[in-house]
Amino acid sequence: MLLAVNDLDVHYGHAKALHNINLHLFKGEVICMVGRNGAGKTTLLKTIAGFLKPSQGSILFDKKPIQGFVPEKVSLMGIRYVFQDKRVFSELTVRENIELAAYPTKEKVSDSIKRILNLYPRMDVLMDSKAKGLSGGQRQILLIGRALIGEPKLLLIDEPTEGLSAGIIEEILNVIVRMKGQLSMVIVEQNLSVVSRMADRVYIMKEGGIFKEINDRAVIEQSNALEAYL
Amino acid sequence: MTTKIRDSGALGVILIALGFILLGSATSIHRTTDFIIFCIFVLGFDLLYGHMGRLSFGHMLFFGSGAYAAGLLVRYTTTNPLVAILVGICGGALVGAILGPVVVRATGACFALINLAFNQVGYFLALVAFAKFTGGEDGLSLTFSNIPFLNIANPKVFFGLTLFCLCLTYYFLKRLTSSPYGILLRAIRENETRAQFIGYNTYRYKWITFVLSSSISAFAGALATINYSYVNPSFIDPTRNVEVIFAALIGGAGNLYGAILGGVSYMLISNYLARYIPRWEMFLGLALLVLVFKFREGIWGNIISVWKSRTQTGG
Repeated sequence: MLLAVNDLDVHYGHAKALHNINLHLFKGEVICMVGRNGAGKTTLLKTIAGFLKPSQGSILFDKKPIQGFVPEKVSLMGIRYVFQDKRVFSELTVRENIELAAYPTKEKVSDSIKRILNLYPRMDVLMDSKAKGLSGGQRQILLIGRALIGEPKLLLIDEPTEGLSAGIIEEILNVIVRMKGQLSMVIVEQNLSVVSRMADRVYIMKEGGIFKEINDRAVIEQSNALEAYL
Repeated sequence: MTTKIRDSGALGVILIALGFILLGSATSIHRTTDFIIFCIFVLGFDLLYGHMGRLSFGHMLFFGSGAYAAGLLVRYTTTNPLVAILVGICGGALVGAILGPVVVRATGACFALINLAFNQVGYFLALVAFAKFTGGEDGLSLTFSNIPFLNIANPKVFFGLTLFCLCLTYYFLKRLTSSPYGILLRAIRENETRAQFIGYNTYRYKWITFVLSSSISAFAGALATINYSYVNPSFIDPTRNVEVIFAALIGGAGNLYGAILGGVSYMLISNYLARYIPRWEMFLGLALLVLVFKFREGIWGNIISVWKSRTQTGG
Protein backbone atom coordinates (compact mmCIF):
# COMPACT_ATOMS: atom_id res chain seq x y z
CA MET A 1 0.00 0.00 0.00
CA LEU A 2 1.49 3.32 -1.05
CA LEU A 3 -0.78 5.76 0.77
CA ALA A 4 -2.94 5.24 3.82
CA VAL A 5 -4.99 7.99 5.42
CA ASN A 6 -6.39 6.99 8.80
CA ASP A 7 -9.02 8.76 10.89
CA LEU A 8 -7.99 12.16 9.57
CA ASP A 9 -9.55 15.36 10.90
CA VAL A 10 -8.65 18.81 9.61
CA HIS A 11 -9.81 22.12 11.01
CA TYR A 12 -9.85 25.63 9.59
CA GLY A 13 -9.79 27.49 12.88
CA HIS A 14 -12.75 26.13 14.82
CA ALA A 15 -14.52 24.83 11.72
CA LYS A 16 -14.05 21.16 10.99
CA ALA A 17 -13.26 20.81 7.28
CA LEU A 18 -12.54 17.07 7.27
CA HIS A 19 -13.70 14.42 9.69
CA ASN A 20 -12.72 10.82 10.05
CA ILE A 21 -11.20 10.42 6.60
CA ASN A 22 -10.02 6.93 5.79
CA LEU A 23 -8.67 6.02 2.41
CA HIS A 24 -5.92 3.97 0.86
CA LEU A 25 -4.07 3.78 -2.43
CA PHE A 26 -2.01 0.97 -3.91
CA LYS A 27 0.99 1.41 -6.20
CA GLY A 28 0.01 2.14 -9.77
CA GLU A 29 -3.60 2.92 -8.85
CA VAL A 30 -5.64 5.96 -9.80
CA ILE A 31 -8.29 7.01 -7.33
CA CYS A 32 -10.65 9.90 -7.95
CA MET A 33 -12.17 12.09 -5.27
CA VAL A 34 -15.62 13.19 -6.37
CA GLY A 35 -18.07 15.47 -4.63
CA ARG A 36 -19.87 18.77 -4.74
CA ASN A 37 -18.14 22.09 -4.07
CA GLY A 38 -17.15 22.40 -0.44
CA ALA A 39 -17.06 18.67 0.16
CA GLY A 40 -13.42 18.84 1.29
CA LYS A 41 -11.65 17.33 -1.70
CA THR A 42 -9.03 20.05 -2.13
CA THR A 43 -8.58 20.25 1.65
CA LEU A 44 -7.73 16.55 1.66
CA LEU A 45 -5.14 16.93 -1.10
CA LYS A 46 -3.58 19.94 0.60
CA THR A 47 -3.33 18.02 3.87
CA ILE A 48 -1.59 15.09 2.21
CA ALA A 49 0.73 17.56 0.44
CA GLY A 50 1.70 19.22 3.72
CA PHE A 51 0.02 22.59 3.31
CA LEU A 52 -2.42 21.86 6.11
CA LYS A 53 -1.77 20.09 9.37
CA PRO A 54 -4.33 17.56 10.53
CA SER A 55 -5.75 17.98 14.00
CA GLN A 56 -6.09 14.23 14.32
CA GLY A 57 -5.22 11.09 12.46
CA SER A 58 -2.31 9.89 10.36
CA ILE A 59 -1.08 9.85 6.79
CA LEU A 60 1.29 7.04 5.87
CA PHE A 61 3.24 7.23 2.64
CA ASP A 62 5.20 4.10 1.79
CA LYS A 63 4.55 3.07 5.41
CA LYS A 64 6.17 6.25 6.77
CA PRO A 65 4.11 8.86 8.63
CA ILE A 66 4.11 12.20 6.83
CA GLN A 67 1.37 14.15 8.58
CA GLY A 68 2.72 17.51 9.68
CA PHE A 69 5.67 17.47 7.26
CA VAL A 70 6.39 20.72 5.44
CA PRO A 71 5.49 20.83 1.73
CA GLU A 72 9.09 20.81 0.49
CA LYS A 73 9.83 17.67 2.48
CA VAL A 74 6.70 15.96 1.16
CA SER A 75 7.72 16.92 -2.37
CA LEU A 76 11.22 15.54 -1.95
CA MET A 77 9.76 12.26 -0.65
CA GLY A 78 8.10 11.78 -4.03
CA ILE A 79 4.65 13.33 -3.72
CA ARG A 80 3.81 16.08 -6.19
CA TYR A 81 0.81 18.33 -6.12
CA VAL A 82 -0.73 19.90 -9.23
CA PHE A 83 -2.81 22.84 -8.06
CA GLN A 84 -6.30 23.57 -9.27
CA ASP A 85 -5.62 27.13 -10.40
CA LYS A 86 -3.15 26.20 -13.18
CA ARG A 87 -0.73 28.85 -12.02
CA VAL A 88 2.74 28.53 -13.41
CA PHE A 89 5.58 30.92 -12.62
CA SER A 90 4.34 33.31 -15.24
CA GLU A 91 7.34 35.68 -15.24
CA LEU A 92 9.72 32.79 -15.87
CA THR A 93 10.09 31.18 -19.26
CA VAL A 94 8.74 27.69 -19.88
CA ARG A 95 12.33 26.40 -19.80
CA GLU A 96 12.96 28.12 -16.46
CA ASN A 97 9.77 26.63 -15.03
CA ILE A 98 11.10 23.20 -15.94
CA GLU A 99 14.64 23.93 -14.69
CA LEU A 100 13.27 25.08 -11.36
CA ALA A 101 11.49 21.76 -10.87
CA ALA A 102 14.51 19.74 -11.97
CA TYR A 103 17.16 21.13 -9.63
CA PRO A 104 15.86 19.78 -6.29
CA THR A 105 15.42 16.32 -7.79
CA LYS A 106 18.90 16.20 -9.32
CA GLU A 107 17.34 15.11 -12.61
CA LYS A 108 19.15 16.51 -15.65
CA VAL A 109 17.36 19.51 -17.11
CA SER A 110 17.68 18.03 -20.60
CA ASP A 111 15.89 14.86 -19.42
CA SER A 112 13.16 16.93 -17.79
CA ILE A 113 12.63 18.89 -20.99
CA LYS A 114 12.48 15.64 -22.99
CA ARG A 115 9.89 14.32 -20.58
CA ILE A 116 7.64 17.30 -21.14
CA LEU A 117 8.12 17.28 -24.91
CA ASN A 118 7.09 13.62 -24.91
CA LEU A 119 3.83 14.68 -23.30
CA TYR A 120 3.35 17.70 -25.54
CA PRO A 121 5.73 18.04 -28.50
CA ARG A 122 4.33 21.45 -29.42
CA MET A 123 5.87 22.88 -26.23
CA ASP A 124 9.21 22.92 -28.08
CA VAL A 125 8.53 26.25 -29.77
CA LEU A 126 7.37 27.78 -26.48
CA MET A 127 10.43 26.90 -24.40
CA ASP A 128 11.90 30.40 -24.33
CA SER A 129 8.59 32.23 -24.08
CA LYS A 130 7.30 33.53 -20.79
CA ALA A 131 4.90 31.07 -19.24
CA LYS A 132 2.24 33.74 -18.85
CA GLY A 133 1.65 33.47 -22.60
CA LEU A 134 0.57 29.83 -22.40
CA SER A 135 -3.06 28.83 -22.82
CA GLY A 136 -4.91 27.12 -19.96
CA GLY A 137 -4.39 23.69 -21.49
CA GLN A 138 -0.71 24.30 -22.15
CA ARG A 139 -0.24 25.43 -18.55
CA GLN A 140 -1.94 22.33 -17.27
CA ILE A 141 0.29 20.10 -19.38
CA LEU A 142 3.35 22.03 -18.22
CA LEU A 143 2.24 21.63 -14.60
CA ILE A 144 1.64 17.91 -14.97
CA GLY A 145 4.93 17.49 -16.82
CA ARG A 146 6.73 19.51 -14.16
CA ALA A 147 5.19 17.35 -11.47
CA LEU A 148 6.61 14.26 -13.17
CA ILE A 149 10.18 15.53 -12.96
CA GLY A 150 12.33 13.41 -10.70
CA GLU A 151 10.02 10.41 -11.11
CA PRO A 152 7.69 10.92 -8.19
CA LYS A 153 5.77 8.06 -6.65
CA LEU A 154 2.45 9.84 -6.17
CA LEU A 155 0.69 12.65 -8.00
CA LEU A 156 -2.06 14.67 -6.38
CA ILE A 157 -3.96 16.46 -9.13
CA ASP A 158 -6.67 18.96 -8.34
CA GLU A 159 -9.33 19.28 -11.06
CA PRO A 160 -7.08 18.82 -14.10
CA THR A 161 -9.83 19.48 -16.65
CA GLU A 162 -11.60 22.42 -15.03
CA GLY A 163 -12.22 25.30 -17.42
CA LEU A 164 -10.66 23.56 -20.41
CA SER A 165 -12.09 22.89 -23.85
CA ALA A 166 -13.10 19.39 -24.94
CA GLY A 167 -10.03 18.96 -27.15
CA ILE A 168 -7.62 19.87 -24.38
CA ILE A 169 -9.49 17.69 -21.89
CA GLU A 170 -8.96 14.78 -24.26
CA GLU A 171 -5.21 15.54 -24.48
CA ILE A 172 -4.87 15.73 -20.72
CA LEU A 173 -6.90 12.58 -20.27
CA ASN A 174 -4.59 10.78 -22.69
CA VAL A 175 -1.59 11.96 -20.68
CA ILE A 176 -3.09 10.68 -17.44
CA VAL A 177 -4.23 7.39 -18.92
CA ARG A 178 -0.70 6.84 -20.34
CA MET A 179 0.70 7.26 -16.84
CA LYS A 180 -1.67 4.72 -15.31
CA GLY A 181 0.05 1.70 -13.92
CA GLN A 182 3.41 3.46 -13.79
CA LEU A 183 2.41 6.14 -11.34
CA SER A 184 -0.09 6.35 -8.52
CA MET A 185 -2.49 9.26 -8.57
CA VAL A 186 -5.15 10.86 -6.41
CA ILE A 187 -7.24 13.06 -8.64
CA VAL A 188 -9.97 15.46 -7.63
CA GLU A 189 -12.39 15.74 -10.54
CA GLN A 190 -15.90 17.08 -11.06
CA ASN A 191 -16.28 15.89 -14.64
CA LEU A 192 -17.79 12.44 -14.15
CA SER A 193 -17.24 11.29 -17.74
CA VAL A 194 -13.53 11.96 -17.24
CA VAL A 195 -13.63 10.11 -13.90
CA SER A 196 -15.19 7.13 -15.63
CA ARG A 197 -12.25 6.86 -17.99
CA MET A 198 -9.46 7.46 -15.46
CA ALA A 199 -10.34 5.95 -12.15
CA ASP A 200 -9.65 2.52 -10.76
CA ARG A 201 -11.60 3.44 -7.65
CA VAL A 202 -13.72 6.41 -6.65
CA TYR A 203 -14.30 8.02 -3.28
CA ILE A 204 -17.43 10.11 -2.98
CA MET A 205 -17.02 12.96 -0.49
CA LYS A 206 -19.81 14.86 1.21
CA GLU A 207 -19.61 17.57 3.88
CA GLY A 208 -16.02 16.85 4.85
CA GLY A 209 -16.30 13.09 5.03
CA ILE A 210 -16.04 10.02 2.82
CA PHE A 211 -19.58 9.08 1.88
CA LYS A 212 -18.82 6.03 -0.20
CA GLU A 213 -15.99 4.10 -1.79
CA ILE A 214 -16.75 2.63 -5.21
CA ASN A 215 -14.43 -0.06 -6.56
CA ASP A 216 -16.83 -1.71 -9.02
CA ARG A 217 -15.56 -0.91 -12.52
CA ALA A 218 -19.02 -1.37 -13.95
CA VAL A 219 -20.38 1.41 -11.76
CA ILE A 220 -17.35 3.67 -12.33
CA GLU A 221 -17.64 3.38 -16.09
CA GLN A 222 -21.16 4.76 -15.96
CA SER A 223 -21.01 8.42 -15.07
CA ASN A 224 -24.79 8.40 -14.52
CA ALA A 225 -24.34 5.84 -11.78
CA LEU A 226 -21.71 8.01 -10.11
CA GLU A 227 -23.92 11.05 -10.29
CA ALA A 228 -26.60 9.28 -8.33
CA TYR A 229 -24.30 9.23 -5.32
CA LEU A 230 -23.70 13.00 -5.30
CA MET B 1 12.32 39.97 -35.89
CA THR B 2 13.54 40.28 -32.30
CA THR B 3 17.12 41.32 -31.73
CA LYS B 4 18.62 39.79 -28.62
CA ILE B 5 21.78 41.05 -27.04
CA ARG B 6 23.15 38.55 -24.57
CA ASP B 7 25.15 39.97 -21.72
CA SER B 8 27.29 37.44 -19.92
CA GLY B 9 28.40 40.10 -17.46
CA ALA B 10 31.58 41.18 -19.23
CA LEU B 11 29.69 43.46 -21.60
CA GLY B 12 27.91 45.11 -18.69
CA VAL B 13 31.18 45.66 -16.86
CA ILE B 14 32.64 47.40 -19.88
CA LEU B 15 29.57 49.58 -20.37
CA ILE B 16 29.43 50.53 -16.71
CA ALA B 17 33.13 51.35 -16.55
CA LEU B 18 32.97 53.48 -19.70
CA GLY B 19 29.81 55.19 -18.53
CA PHE B 20 31.25 56.26 -15.24
CA ILE B 21 34.56 57.32 -16.73
CA LEU B 22 32.62 59.58 -19.08
CA LEU B 23 30.47 60.84 -16.23
CA GLY B 24 33.57 61.55 -14.17
CA SER B 25 35.07 63.51 -17.03
CA ALA B 26 31.87 65.48 -17.53
CA THR B 27 31.26 66.28 -13.87
CA SER B 28 33.84 65.71 -11.16
CA ILE B 29 35.76 62.66 -10.03
CA HIS B 30 34.82 63.15 -6.38
CA ARG B 31 31.12 63.50 -7.11
CA THR B 32 31.15 60.53 -9.47
CA THR B 33 32.78 58.46 -6.74
CA ASP B 34 29.78 59.33 -4.57
CA PHE B 35 27.49 58.18 -7.36
CA ILE B 36 29.34 54.89 -7.69
CA ILE B 37 29.17 54.13 -3.98
CA PHE B 38 25.46 54.88 -3.95
CA CYS B 39 24.95 52.60 -6.96
CA ILE B 40 26.57 49.74 -5.06
CA PHE B 41 24.11 50.38 -2.25
CA VAL B 42 21.18 50.38 -4.68
CA LEU B 43 22.39 47.08 -6.18
CA GLY B 44 22.44 45.53 -2.70
CA PHE B 45 18.99 46.83 -1.90
CA ASP B 46 17.56 45.78 -5.24
CA LEU B 47 18.75 42.19 -4.84
CA LEU B 48 16.22 41.94 -2.02
CA TYR B 49 13.50 44.18 -3.44
CA GLY B 50 13.64 43.76 -7.18
CA HIS B 51 14.75 40.15 -7.43
CA MET B 52 13.16 38.61 -4.35
CA GLY B 53 10.24 40.96 -3.99
CA ARG B 54 10.83 42.04 -0.38
CA LEU B 55 10.77 45.78 0.27
CA SER B 56 12.91 46.89 3.19
CA PHE B 57 12.41 50.27 4.89
CA GLY B 58 15.56 49.79 6.91
CA HIS B 59 18.47 49.08 4.58
CA MET B 60 20.43 52.02 5.94
CA LEU B 61 21.09 49.73 8.90
CA PHE B 62 23.40 47.60 6.75
CA PHE B 63 24.98 50.57 5.00
CA GLY B 64 25.64 52.04 8.43
CA SER B 65 26.85 48.73 9.86
CA GLY B 66 29.45 48.54 7.15
CA ALA B 67 30.40 52.16 7.65
CA TYR B 68 30.72 51.87 11.41
CA ALA B 69 32.49 48.52 11.31
CA ALA B 70 35.08 49.99 8.97
CA GLY B 71 35.28 53.22 10.94
CA LEU B 72 35.68 51.55 14.33
CA LEU B 73 38.38 49.29 12.98
CA VAL B 74 40.33 52.24 11.62
CA ARG B 75 39.86 54.29 14.79
CA TYR B 76 40.93 51.58 17.19
CA THR B 77 43.18 49.14 15.30
CA THR B 78 44.53 49.22 11.75
CA THR B 79 44.18 52.06 9.25
CA ASN B 80 44.50 49.78 6.24
CA PRO B 81 41.59 50.71 3.93
CA LEU B 82 41.33 47.29 2.29
CA VAL B 83 41.05 45.61 5.68
CA ALA B 84 38.48 48.24 6.62
CA ILE B 85 36.42 47.36 3.54
CA LEU B 86 36.60 43.66 4.35
CA VAL B 87 35.62 44.24 7.97
CA GLY B 88 32.82 46.52 6.82
CA ILE B 89 31.40 43.81 4.57
CA CYS B 90 31.69 41.26 7.38
CA GLY B 91 29.99 43.68 9.77
CA GLY B 92 27.01 44.04 7.47
CA ALA B 93 26.93 40.32 6.80
CA LEU B 94 26.92 39.56 10.51
CA VAL B 95 24.07 41.94 11.20
CA GLY B 96 22.14 40.45 8.28
CA ALA B 97 22.87 36.91 9.44
CA ILE B 98 21.67 37.61 12.98
CA LEU B 99 18.54 39.53 12.03
CA GLY B 100 17.71 37.44 8.97
CA PRO B 101 16.07 34.48 10.75
CA VAL B 102 13.54 36.85 12.29
CA VAL B 103 13.10 39.23 9.40
CA VAL B 104 12.69 36.83 6.48
CA ARG B 105 9.76 35.11 8.12
CA ALA B 106 7.76 38.28 7.50
CA THR B 107 6.26 39.42 4.23
CA GLY B 108 4.79 42.59 2.79
CA ALA B 109 4.35 45.54 5.12
CA CYS B 110 5.58 43.52 8.11
CA PHE B 111 8.88 42.87 6.39
CA ALA B 112 9.29 46.52 5.51
CA LEU B 113 8.50 47.71 9.02
CA ILE B 114 10.55 45.12 10.89
CA ASN B 115 13.58 46.30 8.94
CA LEU B 116 12.72 49.90 9.81
CA ALA B 117 12.43 48.96 13.46
CA PHE B 118 15.85 47.33 13.48
CA ASN B 119 17.26 50.33 11.66
CA GLN B 120 15.89 52.57 14.39
CA VAL B 121 17.55 50.38 17.00
CA GLY B 122 20.84 50.53 15.14
CA TYR B 123 20.59 54.30 14.85
CA PHE B 124 19.97 54.60 18.57
CA LEU B 125 22.92 52.37 19.37
CA ALA B 126 25.25 54.43 17.19
CA LEU B 127 23.92 57.79 18.35
CA VAL B 128 23.43 57.16 22.06
CA ALA B 129 24.10 53.73 23.53
CA PHE B 130 27.60 53.28 22.13
CA ALA B 131 28.42 56.97 21.75
CA LYS B 132 31.58 56.40 23.78
CA PHE B 133 32.93 54.33 20.90
CA THR B 134 31.12 55.81 17.90
CA GLY B 135 31.48 59.44 18.79
CA GLY B 136 27.73 59.88 19.08
CA GLU B 137 26.32 62.73 17.03
CA ASP B 138 29.78 63.93 16.01
CA GLY B 139 30.84 60.58 14.68
CA LEU B 140 34.42 59.55 14.07
CA SER B 141 36.99 61.39 12.03
CA LEU B 142 39.27 58.88 10.33
CA THR B 143 42.62 58.67 8.67
CA PHE B 144 43.39 55.87 6.30
CA SER B 145 46.87 54.73 5.47
CA ASN B 146 48.10 54.45 1.93
CA ILE B 147 48.99 51.03 0.69
CA PRO B 148 52.10 50.89 -1.51
CA PHE B 149 50.19 50.17 -4.73
CA LEU B 150 47.04 52.05 -3.77
CA ASN B 151 47.20 55.70 -2.82
CA ILE B 152 43.59 56.27 -1.87
CA ALA B 153 44.30 59.88 -0.95
CA ASN B 154 44.51 60.47 -4.69
CA PRO B 155 40.91 61.03 -5.86
CA LYS B 156 41.56 59.38 -9.22
CA VAL B 157 42.96 56.28 -7.57
CA PHE B 158 40.03 56.05 -5.21
CA PHE B 159 37.65 56.63 -8.11
CA GLY B 160 39.29 53.70 -9.89
CA LEU B 161 38.99 51.54 -6.79
CA THR B 162 35.30 52.26 -6.28
CA LEU B 163 34.62 51.76 -9.98
CA PHE B 164 36.35 48.41 -9.75
CA CYS B 165 34.19 47.58 -6.72
CA LEU B 166 31.03 48.52 -8.61
CA CYS B 167 32.03 46.41 -11.62
CA LEU B 168 32.85 43.51 -9.33
CA THR B 169 29.50 43.83 -7.57
CA TYR B 170 27.65 44.07 -10.85
CA TYR B 171 29.45 41.03 -12.27
CA PHE B 172 28.80 38.98 -9.15
CA LEU B 173 25.11 39.86 -9.15
CA LYS B 174 24.83 39.29 -12.88
CA ARG B 175 26.17 35.77 -12.53
CA LEU B 176 24.02 35.17 -9.46
CA THR B 177 20.75 36.40 -10.94
CA SER B 178 21.37 34.57 -14.23
CA SER B 179 21.99 31.30 -12.41
CA PRO B 180 19.43 28.77 -11.10
CA TYR B 181 19.61 30.70 -7.83
CA GLY B 182 18.30 33.75 -9.67
CA ILE B 183 15.46 31.73 -11.17
CA LEU B 184 14.52 30.56 -7.70
CA LEU B 185 14.55 34.12 -6.35
CA ARG B 186 12.12 35.19 -9.04
CA ALA B 187 9.94 32.19 -8.30
CA ILE B 188 9.90 33.09 -4.59
CA ARG B 189 8.97 36.63 -5.52
CA GLU B 190 6.09 35.41 -7.63
CA ASN B 191 4.75 32.56 -5.51
CA GLU B 192 6.72 31.30 -2.55
CA THR B 193 4.25 28.53 -1.70
CA ARG B 194 4.62 26.97 -5.13
CA ALA B 195 8.39 27.17 -4.88
CA GLN B 196 8.15 25.27 -1.57
CA PHE B 197 6.06 22.63 -3.15
CA ILE B 198 8.59 22.03 -5.88
CA GLY B 199 10.98 21.08 -3.09
CA TYR B 200 12.81 24.25 -2.07
CA ASN B 201 13.45 25.33 1.48
CA THR B 202 12.58 28.90 0.61
CA TYR B 203 13.35 30.16 4.13
CA ARG B 204 17.00 29.17 3.68
CA TYR B 205 17.28 30.93 0.33
CA LYS B 206 15.54 34.04 1.61
CA TRP B 207 17.98 34.19 4.51
CA ILE B 208 21.00 33.75 2.22
CA THR B 209 19.73 36.52 -0.07
CA PHE B 210 19.13 38.78 2.91
CA VAL B 211 22.72 38.27 4.05
CA LEU B 212 24.07 38.90 0.54
CA SER B 213 21.99 42.07 0.26
CA SER B 214 23.16 43.32 3.65
CA SER B 215 26.79 42.52 2.78
CA ILE B 216 26.70 44.48 -0.47
CA SER B 217 25.01 47.41 1.28
CA ALA B 218 27.71 47.27 3.97
CA PHE B 219 30.34 47.22 1.22
CA ALA B 220 28.95 50.55 0.03
CA GLY B 221 28.94 51.87 3.58
CA ALA B 222 32.58 50.97 4.11
CA LEU B 223 33.54 52.68 0.85
CA ALA B 224 31.57 55.75 1.88
CA THR B 225 33.51 55.90 5.15
CA ILE B 226 36.79 55.90 3.25
CA ASN B 227 35.47 58.43 0.74
CA TYR B 228 34.49 60.95 3.39
CA SER B 229 37.14 60.00 5.97
CA TYR B 230 34.51 60.02 8.65
CA VAL B 231 31.47 58.17 9.83
CA ASN B 232 28.55 59.61 11.73
CA PRO B 233 24.91 58.71 12.45
CA SER B 234 23.76 60.03 9.08
CA PHE B 235 25.27 56.84 7.62
CA ILE B 236 22.68 54.79 9.51
CA ASP B 237 19.84 57.32 9.60
CA PRO B 238 16.47 55.60 8.97
CA THR B 239 15.03 58.68 7.26
CA ARG B 240 17.53 58.21 4.44
CA ASN B 241 16.04 54.88 3.41
CA VAL B 242 13.80 56.78 1.05
CA GLU B 243 16.85 57.57 -1.11
CA VAL B 244 17.66 53.99 -2.01
CA ILE B 245 13.99 53.10 -2.47
CA PHE B 246 13.47 56.02 -4.83
CA ALA B 247 16.58 55.12 -6.76
CA ALA B 248 15.45 51.52 -7.25
CA LEU B 249 12.01 52.62 -8.38
CA ILE B 250 13.33 55.32 -10.72
CA GLY B 251 15.76 52.99 -12.44
CA GLY B 252 13.55 49.93 -12.51
CA ALA B 253 13.50 47.28 -9.84
CA GLY B 254 14.68 43.78 -10.58
CA ASN B 255 17.25 44.78 -13.14
CA LEU B 256 20.94 45.46 -12.51
CA TYR B 257 21.20 48.18 -15.13
CA GLY B 258 18.03 49.68 -13.69
CA ALA B 259 19.56 49.81 -10.21
CA ILE B 260 22.67 51.61 -11.52
CA LEU B 261 20.65 53.95 -13.70
CA GLY B 262 18.36 54.69 -10.79
CA GLY B 263 21.30 55.37 -8.51
CA VAL B 264 22.84 57.79 -10.98
CA SER B 265 19.51 59.48 -11.69
CA TYR B 266 18.77 59.98 -8.03
CA MET B 267 22.21 61.39 -7.34
CA LEU B 268 22.00 63.72 -10.34
CA ILE B 269 18.65 65.00 -9.12
CA SER B 270 19.76 65.46 -5.52
CA ASN B 271 23.14 66.95 -6.40
CA TYR B 272 22.34 69.17 -9.36
CA LEU B 273 18.65 69.89 -9.37
CA ALA B 274 18.93 71.10 -5.79
CA ARG B 275 21.01 74.03 -7.06
CA TYR B 276 18.15 75.32 -9.18
CA ILE B 277 15.00 74.19 -7.39
CA PRO B 278 14.82 75.01 -3.66
CA ARG B 279 12.29 72.28 -2.94
CA TRP B 280 13.82 69.61 -5.11
CA GLU B 281 12.36 66.88 -2.92
CA MET B 282 8.94 67.94 -4.17
CA PHE B 283 10.12 67.42 -7.74
CA LEU B 284 11.33 63.98 -6.72
CA GLY B 285 7.96 63.18 -5.19
CA LEU B 286 6.18 64.29 -8.36
CA ALA B 287 8.60 62.26 -10.48
CA LEU B 288 7.87 59.23 -8.37
CA LEU B 289 4.11 59.69 -8.80
CA VAL B 290 4.56 59.84 -12.56
CA LEU B 291 6.73 56.72 -12.47
CA VAL B 292 4.33 54.75 -10.31
CA PHE B 293 1.28 55.59 -12.41
CA LYS B 294 2.76 55.83 -15.87
CA PHE B 295 6.18 54.16 -16.02
CA ARG B 296 5.94 51.36 -13.50
CA GLU B 297 8.95 49.54 -14.82
CA GLY B 298 11.22 52.49 -14.20
CA ILE B 299 13.59 54.11 -16.68
CA TRP B 300 15.44 50.95 -17.68
CA GLY B 301 12.32 48.82 -17.77
CA ASN B 302 10.67 51.26 -20.15
CA ILE B 303 13.77 51.45 -22.34
CA ILE B 304 13.65 47.65 -22.66
CA SER B 305 9.91 47.70 -23.45
CA VAL B 306 10.38 50.28 -26.20
CA TRP B 307 13.38 48.37 -27.59
CA LYS B 308 11.41 45.12 -27.66
CA SER B 309 8.39 46.66 -29.33
CA ARG B 310 10.54 48.34 -31.97
CA THR B 311 12.57 45.23 -32.79
CA GLN B 312 9.48 43.05 -32.89
CA THR B 313 7.67 45.38 -35.29
CA GLY B 314 10.86 45.80 -37.32
CA GLY B 315 10.79 49.54 -36.66
